[in-house]
Amino acid sequence: MATTAVPRFDGSNQRPNIPTAAVRLPAVKSYEQVDEEIMRTMRPTLGWFAALGIAILCMLAGATAWTYQIHEGLGAAGYQPPVMWGVYIITFVFWIGIGHAGTLISAILYLFRAGFRTSIYRVSEAMTVFAVMTAGLFPVLHLGRPWKFFWLIAYPNWRLIWPNPKSPLVWDVFAILTYLTISSTFLYIGLIPDIAVLRDREKNPVRKAIFSQMALGWRNSDNEWRHFTRAYLFLAAFATPLVLSVHSVVSFDFAMALTPGWHATIFPPYFVAGAIFSGLGMVFTIVIPLRKFFKLEHYVTLNDLDAAAKLCLFTSTVVGLAYLTEFQIAWMSGNGFEQDYFWNRVFGQWAWAAWIMLLCNVVLPLSLWSQQLRRNPTWLFILSLFINLGMWFERFVIIVPSLAHEFEPWQWGTYRPTFVDYSILLGSFGWFFMWFLLFIKQLPVMAISEIKEVIPPKLKRPFSFAHDLTEGIVDPDEVGAMH
Amino acid sequence: MQGVLGAFHELDAAIDAIEALKKEKVGEIAVFTPTPRHEFDHVLAHPPSNVRRFTLAFGLAGVTFGYWIAIWISDYWPIVVGGKAIETWVPYTIIGFEVMVLIGGLATVYSMFGLARIPRLTMTVGYDPRFSAGHYGVWVKTPPDRADAAAAILEKFGAEEVRRER
Repeated sequence: MATTAVPRFDGSNQRPNIPTAAVRLPAVKSYEQVDEEIMRTMRPTLGWFAALGIAILCMLAGATAWTYQIHEGLGAAGYQPPVMWGVYIITFVFWIGIGHAGTLISAILYLFRAGFRTSIYRVSEAMTVFAVMTAGLFPVLHLGRPWKFFWLIAYPNWRLIWPNPKSPLVWDVFAILTYLTISSTFLYIGLIPDIAVLRDREKNPVRKAIFSQMALGWRNSDNEWRHFTRAYLFLAAFATPLVLSVHSVVSFDFAMALTPGWHATIFPPYFVAGAIFSGLGMVFTIVIPLRKFFKLEHYVTLNDLDAAAKLCLFTSTVVGLAYLTEFQIAWMSGNGFEQDYFWNRVFGQWAWAAWIMLLCNVVLPLSLWSQQLRRNPTWLFILSLFINLGMWFERFVIIVPSLAHEFEPWQWGTYRPTFVDYSILLGSFGWFFMWFLLFIKQLPVMAISEIKEVIPPKLKRPFSFAHDLTEGIVDPDEVGAMH
Repeated sequence: MQGVLGAFHELDAAIDAIEALKKEKVGEIAVFTPTPRHEFDHVLAHPPSNVRRFTLAFGLAGVTFGYWIAIWISDYWPIVVGGKAIETWVPYTIIGFEVMVLIGGLATVYSMFGLARIPRLTMTVGYDPRFSAGHYGVWVKTPPDRADAAAAILEKFGAEEVRRER
């Protein structure tokens, strides 16, 4: 299942930023060590309880603000014509984007046999599921009567009304529900062999019973692995176009509207690249502290961070090119409204937001051209915080100035988020991190069976790394004579 | 189910033992391994998994259903806009694609469950918790009169433990 079955031990003097997809974990010596060190991360600590408490408090702040909003109406969230999409839709797109890097790492890089994904894909995949769960809340929060959200789902009903299949909002429902289902299935399927490891090592009878149920009676037999690896491959093959389609569909929410700054064919690739970029930022935000606190530096190596940083740099340049292309399209379109909007974007009312976006998403990631900085976890963590900030502001820049600066001056207006918006934004982070923190203490943060696949197995004849089928059967008596 | 189980700590020893067992034709062989290894695939030479057939069939069913539901909704509740068709296949491709992935993906998982015979309520004979850690298990389903021969091969090739199960 892992991407690289045979590590290379050619002894060549390679540069530290390995140019190949090979993954090496020289400090990991045996399968038992993998079990021991990864299961050790599941012991609760005081720091974990403190972090969970903070996350729950943030979530409660958001829940309280939502309750207030339901009582007062959507006006409490600062909506006023013409800006009727604000922090909620910005944050919805932000969290959907965060989810994309998880699928990129777990599915797309799996198909590309990129070895560096092995130690970070479980965390990224869990991040995807929780980010999509968080994103899915925002269209509901944005409804005046959120308890009627299920009207968007196509099912036979007493109202005899069906949703409009030509509406981008209905496409969103199909895309996001499919994405949530497939990504959570993908996460669970990958977890089954690891849960079997937990089941076999667990001493507490209650937890053992729970793990036994969750492992579905998995026994690591060749028949199970044969079907499992094939199913995993096909799920990855499904998830790859799915991840591209989901953010394309999200971009259609904007591109289908006749609004300056939105109605552009560049939106799907622009959104997908931005989503992967922002998700990689969040992967660094999560993985770098995790490897430090759990002492897993020998699993998530500098080579892995280096490779992920290169991907981050690449997507940053794609996003930067998309920003420039937007301006170029406006300039060459001859459309005064479009040109005026883009002028307003960088020199108008919300110019500060556009410059924060450009600084965080285009300028600062240029530092990743330096190999020294790509291999510096502290810098990568700091940069990831800027990327998260920059990508939130990217969505702000797309949504708010466009709605506030439409075709005619009488349509122009302003938008001021209120404490309800900010509380719900904070609450979304609390909700996300609450699930994530619960996950890392109940289930392995790394794929135990995949890591075992990339470390050399224990051999009787260490002079040959793998069994050579051309040798035929090696009789133990002959081997004894050879030595 | 009667048979003999050998627990190996070395991959190549387990592979050699399987080849010898196959050569002697002592019985049906199953392997327990903490992680999938291509070496076992080669030596056991099983046919490819049939999961792919379910993926294809249900993926096609999903895309058909996705297009159909969108067209049916448009006919049942037409939104008439001058100059535009009631049904339009371009936007419906999005719904067709999403439903294809949903149905095809879930069918892949359920077919894997069916083919791999999981969920399993009890651990069948032959399994040992060591096989999810660092050991490889070679299980030979064999009648009692061939059990000694199977056990002798497993021991000869370095099994740490050989035990008969019934």
